[in-house]
Amino acid sequence: MGLVVLGISDLQVSNKADDILITYSLGSCIGVAAYDARAKVGGMIHYMLPLSKISPEKAAIKPGMFADTGIPLLLKSLFTMGATKDNLVLKVAGGSHLMDQNKVFNIGERNYLILRKLLWKNNMLIKSEDVGGNLSRTLRMELATGFTTVKSSQGVREL
Amino acid sequence: MNAKDQIVSKVSSFPTLPVMAGRLLTLLNKPDVTGAEIGKVIQFDPALAANLMKAANSVYLGSSHEVASISEAVFRLGTKWVFQIAVSSLIYSNLRRPVGGYDLSGEDLWRHSIAVAITADLISRQLNHKDVGVVFTGGLLHDMGKIIMGEYVGESFEEIQKLVDDEEISFEEAERRVLGIDHAEIGAMVAENWKFPVVLTACIRYHHNPAAAPEPNQSIDIVHIADALCLMQGYGIGRDGISYRPDPDAVTRLNISNSILELVTSQLVTALEEVDNVIKEAPVAQTAGR
Repeated sequence: MGLVVLGISDLQVSNKADDILITYSLGSCIGVAAYDARAKVGGMIHYMLPLSKISPEKAAIKPGMFADTGIPLLLKSLFTMGATKDNLVLKVAGGSHLMDQNKVFNIGERNYLILRKLLWKNNMLIKSEDVGGNLSRTLRMELATGFTTVKSSQGVREL
Repeated sequence: MNAKDQIVSKVSSFPTLPVMAGRLLTLLNKPDVTGAEIGKVIQFDPALAANLMKAANSVYLGSSHEVASISEAVFRLGTKWVFQIAVSSLIYSNLRRPVGGYDLSGEDLWRHSIAVAITADLISRQLNHKDVGVVFTGGLLHDMGKIIMGEYVGESFEEIQKLVDDEEISFEEAERRVLGIDHAEIGAMVAENWKFPVVLTACIRYHHNPAAAPEPNQSIDIVHIADALCLMQGYGIGRDGISYRPDPDAVTRLNISNSILELVTSQLVTALEEVDNVIKEAPVAQTAGR
């Protein structure tokens, strides 16, 4: 079994049935797990910011840092491996915020909104999600089946 | 003895800082300190010297051109980074320890501490804040109170978390309600015991609550914002999660925009990788007891 751990700004795809993709400590960052059951390929990203215009040079080195460079790359990589838009199932976790009524630190919310927008433009939907709140989450996906869980201080549940 | 008195009694037995770190920190009070002066203090410490050489030869901190001597390393890095690398190297072993109660592995407390230190540095650059040594060191040490508090927080965790959930108060406020004291205050008491400069102690004491400071201070505000940003992004966080409250007035005082916060966030990833490698790989442990 291969445990593939994604750090902040990482993006991974795999077609190995014994791989498990996992990413820890999703705060305001967002983790997206994508799986195509027919092609048996899956991928995950742990992006931290919505838009790459803040630092195009960083986006060139680490496209997985931003939603607008990372999400298209994740999808494209999966399509190259045989996944199709119709079969891809997307699950999302993260986008938390601090106890911040004034929403000064709204990176989490912006991260989520840009994802919705990107997917909407591509006619893709989120199958299930666990987003927002003051939680730190772990997202985990098994490549054999696409079985995906999210873990937080509130326990573990299937996404 | 109540919980608070028990916790406070631990302050005096908290491990002391390496002598060298103490000497370097006193230099923080000299606003015009030069790289040469700092170099003079650290030149007899081989492990530290090795770290500085390595830092000077790294791309982000130093230059692509190979640096062969300590004096050249000091020159390349500049005063600020000489100080920061030296202090982080010396404090590494103090912070690289697991903290029960908050469920922080040895790696977590270190990672959070160095991330906040670097974020404070990156914010200072954007705002042209001058006391970079203070905010960096304040960032590095802001959570050291957790090392003492851990045991007590562990015993009362359910009660603290229930208060956080039921009354929607921040974690450190709940700590204070249940245990009579919080990790920021305990950390500041350790800093006082170590005879830190007043402003550095204040950065630690008020890192969750800049409004409680006797008067507004930019260094305190920067450490506060840096901590909030790193917690939010999940850098080395524990069981207390991100149940903390950023102070909107600190944001207003600093006049820090969302785009600066996002830029700093993007810069942190690579800066953290590089600094972490410099500090972790060099043999610093042997200097710890001196």
